Amino acid sequence: MARSKEVAPNVGRLSRSQVAAKRGLFKGKKTSTAPAKTESPAHTEKTVGGKANGEKRLVPTNKASKYYPAEDVKKPKVSRKSAGKTALRSSITPGTVLILLAGRFAGKRVVFLKQLDSGLLLVSGPFKINGVPLRRVSQAYVIATSTKVDIAGVSIPETVNDSYFAKSKAAKGSKEGEFFGEGKEKKAFPEEKKSEQKSVDAALIASIKKVDNLAKYLKASWGLSKGDRFHELKF
Amino acid sequence: MGRFTEYSVIGRTLPTEATPEPKLYRMRIFAPNEVVAKSRYWYYLRQLKKAKKANGEIVAINVIHEKKPLKVKNFAIWLRYDSRSGTHNMVKEFRALSRAEAVEAMYQDMAARHRARFRSVQILRVAEIEKKEDIRRPYIKQLLEPGLKFPLPHRRTKSKAWYAANRPVSFSFIVF
Amino acid sequence: MTTTTATSERLQSTFKRFVEVGRVVLVNDGPSAGNLAVIVEIIDHNRALIDGPTTSVPRQSFPYRNLILTPYTIASLPRGAGNGAVKKAFEKAGVLEKWQSSGWAKKLAARKQRKNASDFDRFQIQLAKKSRREEVRKAYVKEKKASA
Repeated sequence: MARSKEVAPNVGRLSRSQVAAKRGLFKGKKTSTAPAKTESPAHTEKTVGGKANGEKRLVPTNKASKYYPAEDVKKPKVSRKSAGKTALRSSITPGTVLILLAGRFAGKRVVFLKQLDSGLLLVSGPFKINGVPLRRVSQAYVIATSTKVDIAGVSIPETVNDSYFAKSKAAKGSKEGEFFGEGKEKKAFPEEKKSEQKSVDAALIASIKKVDNLAKYLKASWGLSKGDRFHELKF
Repeated sequence: MGRFTEYSVIGRTLPTEATPEPKLYRMRIFAPNEVVAKSRYWYYLRQLKKAKKANGEIVAINVIHEKKPLKVKNFAIWLRYDSRSGTHNMVKEFRALSRAEAVEAMYQDMAARHRARFRSVQILRVAEIEKKEDIRRPYIKQLLEPGLKFPLPHRRTKSKAWYAANRPVSFSFIVF
Repeated sequence: MTTTTATSERLQSTFKRFVEVGRVVLVNDGPSAGNLAVIVEIIDHNRALIDGPTTSVPRQSFPYRNLILTPYTIASLPRGAGNGAVKKAFEKAGVLEKWQSSGWAKKLAARKQRKNASDFDRFQIQLAKKSRREEVRKAYVKEKKASA
């Protein structure tokens, strides 16, 4: 509780995860290296006396435990179920205008393009209209509106998949240097991502412009105002 | 007691060697469900005949549906009830779409005017009054006047606003 | 409840709408809310038998509490008229046309449309309002300059 000052009895200012982040135990450098393992054979051959014993015998290196459970412990049944593909809400179809509810672009209206293999939704602002790039979002953090954009002419390149959004692991410099911002250059946005964004958005913007006010609509952000009753609103 | 249904319950005492074919008794009973209907059947039967549930059986129980449930009818209900000081007989009249509905109104009325519970009211007869002249009670007679009309002077209007600047007015000459 | 024909003629009542056989009512609750129906028979002081064959309101008993009396009546309707007779009389009186052209019905329809508006519709309404404000402002400034 030292970091998390109490705001009420037994209630800290910070959450558990915030305290953990502040403590920063994960940052510690691991100095020791694990000792190299030496493989030992499972059995060793030993000579034994006595005629009837056949002279040699295989003796296990690690003795089996003397303990034997009196009752059989039941093994849990192996489940044969496998997680299927995330079911998409019926109100979300390709071209649906979505309202993002969380994250950096909360409140923005974006166009849904397709569902990725991970079950996340691939959306685009389009970038030129409202600054939202090609992006993955969970359908739980989205309001589906009844407005649809015709995306028949939009082709999404094969390269835009889940791995497209994976973060590149850059080689880490020294901790201190990073802290003072030494040797850190601002990474340039990859050219191919720029061109992919443009190619997707070009057709999208063309079809958006066909409908009056639609571009304006996408540019404006959504929010609740006084007197709005969310449960009575229709999207 | 909730909504009432009219049941026809048929039962008898268990057959013995002396009476291998006992007499069947049928009753029309108003009850919220079959369980209560059967219970009321045995309650009445043991008062009327030498029979009880321990040595009897229910042969059949059926729902009696209203023949014309969309026709407004006038019903007379003859009843007997135990007040705090004695037992009284009564005839009450009701306007309803079905017999069961009239009985329900009767129980409500008895509870309201006489504080009588379901258990202290026994229905003797429920009958539709076919002729207008046979209606005895003025509170039903007044509803049968030709050209009957009346305004609705006391109305409750619902406001959508969370807070109202003025108290709602329930009396209005311009009646909605 | 002493309304006889004689007394109602004698007294100049301020009431304009009455519960009576043939009175057209607006159903205000339940699955047929928002539809017109006709009082076919008065059951008692609290409810009436209503029917709306052309407006998909099934014949049923309905409390006055959840009915709104309209200014329309079907004068010739006999007490307890059947479904077909009600339908005929209702169509003959042309109540539905009168209702649909009334300001009241239009207001209800507009309210319903507003309520069912989608997010995009609401945005477009906002744009329209904005442009209207702008027009009014411009006209006002122009007028002001002219009068000064």
